[in-house]
Amino acid sequence: MKIAMITEGTYPHQFGGVSVWCDQIIRGMPDYDFKLVSLLGTGAEQAVWDLPENVSSLIPIALWGAPPTGPRMGRRNDFPTRLIRRLIDSLLDSPGETQSRFGEVLHQLFDYAQRGNLSACLSSKKAVRLLSEAWQDRRQDAEQPLPTVNDAVTAMQLIEHCLRPLSHPPVQADVVHVATNGLGVLPALTAKWQRGTPIIVSEHGIYLREQYLHSPKLPYRWPVKALYLGFLRQLCALGYHEAETIVPCNVYNRRWEERLGADPSRIRTVYNGVDPANFPIADHEPEAPTISWAGRIDPIKDLETLLSSFAIVHQGMPEARLRLFGSAPKGREAYLERCKELVAELGIGAAVTFEGHIDKVREAYNAGSIVALSSVSEGFPYSLIEAMTCGRTCVATDVGGVTEAVGDTGLVVPPGNAALMAEACLTLLRDDELRHRYAAAARARALEYFTIDGAISRFDEIYSFVAAGHPLPIAPPEPEPDDQLDTTLVFGADNLLPPEPDADDQPDATLVFTTGDLLRFGVSG
Amino acid sequence: MSAETLPKLQPLVPQPYAANDKQRGMTVVHTQSPRPRGIEELCEKFVAVCESAVHPLEIAGALEFDGWNDRAVRKRYGVSDVFALAEEMYRRVPRRPAEPAPQPDAWQISKWRPALHGLLYGLPTVCFTAAAGLLAGPGALTTMIVALLSSWALSQALAYLGYMRLGQGLPVQAQRVLLVGLGAGMAGVLVAMDVMSLLVPVYDQEFIFGVGLGAYMLGATVLLVLGSERLLYVALAPGVLGSSAFLLLGRPSHLEHATWAVLAATPLLALGLAVVRTSRGAGLRRRFKPAGAKPAKLLSAADVRAALPSAGFGLVAGGLLVFPVAVGTPGHGGVNAGALLASLPLALSMGAAEWMLVWFRRRTQRLLRATYQLTAFARRARMLLAAALLQYLIVTVLLTVVIVVIATASRLIHPEWTALPQVAAYMALGCSMFVSLLLQSFASRIFPLVICAAALALEILTRDLWVLGQIMVSTELLIVLTGYAALVLGSAERHAC
Repeated sequence: MKIAMITEGTYPHQFGGVSVWCDQIIRGMPDYDFKLVSLLGTGAEQAVWDLPENVSSLIPIALWGAPPTGPRMGRRNDFPTRLIRRLIDSLLDSPGETQSRFGEVLHQLFDYAQRGNLSACLSSKKAVRLLSEAWQDRRQDAEQPLPTVNDAVTAMQLIEHCLRPLSHPPVQADVVHVATNGLGVLPALTAKWQRGTPIIVSEHGIYLREQYLHSPKLPYRWPVKALYLGFLRQLCALGYHEAETIVPCNVYNRRWEERLGADPSRIRTVYNGVDPANFPIADHEPEAPTISWAGRIDPIKDLETLLSSFAIVHQGMPEARLRLFGSAPKGREAYLERCKELVAELGIGAAVTFEGHIDKVREAYNAGSIVALSSVSEGFPYSLIEAMTCGRTCVATDVGGVTEAVGDTGLVVPPGNAALMAEACLTLLRDDELRHRYAAAARARALEYFTIDGAISRFDEIYSFVAAGHPLPIAPPEPEPDDQLDTTLVFGADNLLPPEPDADDQPDATLVFTTGDLLRFGVSG
Repeated sequence: MSAETLPKLQPLVPQPYAANDKQRGMTVVHTQSPRPRGIEELCEKFVAVCESAVHPLEIAGALEFDGWNDRAVRKRYGVSDVFALAEEMYRRVPRRPAEPAPQPDAWQISKWRPALHGLLYGLPTVCFTAAAGLLAGPGALTTMIVALLSSWALSQALAYLGYMRLGQGLPVQAQRVLLVGLGAGMAGVLVAMDVMSLLVPVYDQEFIFGVGLGAYMLGATVLLVLGSERLLYVALAPGVLGSSAFLLLGRPSHLEHATWAVLAATPLLALGLAVVRTSRGAGLRRRFKPAGAKPAKLLSAADVRAALPSAGFGLVAGGLLVFPVAVGTPGHGGVNAGALLASLPLALSMGAAEWMLVWFRRRTQRLLRATYQLTAFARRARMLLAAALLQYLIVTVLLTVVIVVIATASRLIHPEWTALPQVAAYMALGCSMFVSLLLQSFASRIFPLVICAAALALEILTRDLWVLGQIMVSTELLIVLTGYAALVLGSAERHAC
């Protein structure tokens, strides 16, 4: 069976969780023939992964390099004025009215792109004029900033770049699997429109949510930003709508998916998995009580909170150590420097080490008595399930699928809360019996739910059903995302809220759980 | 794309440690900034997000990023979930987005660069003038023309390829392309010279001078593309200083050999420095190349094809500049003194052309951001084009006057009023070159090439009309190019960077 896997800026050109996941899936299914369609920047990017043998082709689609040289427009008056106007209308009109139209317009743009030069068309003088006029017609709200000529030009260019996949020949496969929602849906849609190829949409972080979070960094004025993010929102909703199956990597993602109109009966959560052979159980704990952290040095990992919390741990337990494994990717060196400065400011330099890149990441987990994760955003973090497989209990922040991963085998704290994280770490470091019990439970949980074989067999099943055109078997009921909190958090729901401001005066206010609580909600409970 | 691939993702709210890291000596480190109790307070905290939000979901994303989840907002605010809270906040806070931080000016260059470049373009004229006296053979003019045209065409193509790689953010590749291109260009110049020497009788010294000219042009191109103007000054120093001394001393015959030596030093230096400058960086990187990375192909066929219009334009522009010199004046034959005189300020004025190009691009970028109507933009962009052209013309006229005054005062030339039409023709040609340069910077490369080639052909056809033909052709060229530029550069989408 041929599977087309579509990635955007990840596999095989970048490292990171999504790439690990892609590589695992492909290597784990040697009987399937994979075609990789990779959305890239300029197209000059070099692959950094060695491709598995069952990848028969790698098709790059450059979004920002030279425009695709599609067939030239036949006649001068071939310009699809009505189509471009409909595209612009679907992007500018209020959300809700336009969703069904948006899919139709994209389909027509695809038809056009297969015989004419869509890129030339979208970046033409006429398209810019149409957008400019459409903006003028809709200008009722005096409060919103007036779009400039530059805004019209920039917006049409962005759309042109985003829609380049429509000008490429559709990939031929039995199933198209989009690794992340978003622009990757476009090549999948072209295959669906041309050959009826069914689509599977996977999701790690929520694509749209990440785009929104990134938006303050966009260099565009509000009208452009509104149009661009509106385009992405409609595209993501279309991706959910057109997919036979949506496969998030955690239950938590479902909230956003359903909010964007995904049919709940089509959602199947498949947790990421690790190969237990690569993460054997760690025999010995380090002599000094040690907190270990592994990952890329990146603001999204919120190392500031981890370091601040360790400062508190260090006060209560001067022999405690914090070891951070991982390097700063290109462009994040300044963040690493900031973290090192914070270590100096906090006066914990003697107890904290930046270990840098490590080849065998399991050694990072073995190096800790417990493993910490302080991220402010995660999908379903590999570092947690890898650490659990090694038999390490974790203290992690309540983001994305973290509670689902940790379950009742570790402690989960609100993000950005150094004191709670410190208390959780101290509790586990001080209580050997509890820590060991959690560690054993963590390994058992990982081996039961988060193995690569488990993930592979789920995808194997999904591929066969989707390719055959059969509906997936009725899914076992998945817990409501929010209900997870009741069952997995070791402290009561009230404690998820940070302390009330007026409680700050009481030194004990930050200690939110007692050993009794832990035992009550612990492994056996 | 997942969270981990997002560039520069930052928490949207200040992290708790920021306010409290100084209090670490306390027993209890304050954990988090106080949480707002009412939605109103929450709106205040998230006011920047709410005012610039394009959809309630954007606020929901920010709330979750701050650690709020459905359970927490239900308990605190009595709403069903984060999405409902975000919608309420979207309703309450009107859109008042902040303007984005001003973008870095892509067209910022040092004030001195255009003047320095102009000087770099003009200084070799001194060497030509000195050499012209030394090259008395029958093939001198032909040698000069062949060497100039071949090296001009090749160096334009080389510059295009070098800038292309730099523009793609591949500086090491650019150096490799320039190094290989330098070798290929030298081979090209040698072939052109060899073919010429088969057709017309050429003295050895003329042949060597021609090769030196080509070496200088190519080496200088490499250094300029890589921004090593200072190295180019070093290369030019011996030739220019020696030639100036030779000319000012009245071309004494006992200094002829010494002048030859300094004239030879300049191309050798330019070539040597260009090789050093390109092989240094390229070599270093090759040693530290990550294992397993495949070496990218140096140039594709498409890259080479894309450089052809540049080579063609170099050839045609060189032809247009050299033709009046070569065709001579009625009755005199040989080298046309008026033309030679006018070509110096023209070379210098290319610095001014670069400056005006940058000026035009900066002004139109500003205009794009300050105009709300496409028609208004078109009108004002055309006025800016006219202003740029006029300013270029004024600078060129001033340069010409200054040079004529200096050259007359130092008795190098004896200007005659009859040379004026020739100078006027050159002015029009200079303006045309400026407009061509401008069009090329807007990725319009074919039109200037075709029109300039047509103009050259017309000049050759009307060579019997002498200067009258040149004035006619260069004026027509200027009118056509300017009209086309007005048409093209009035379109806003052309100005997108």
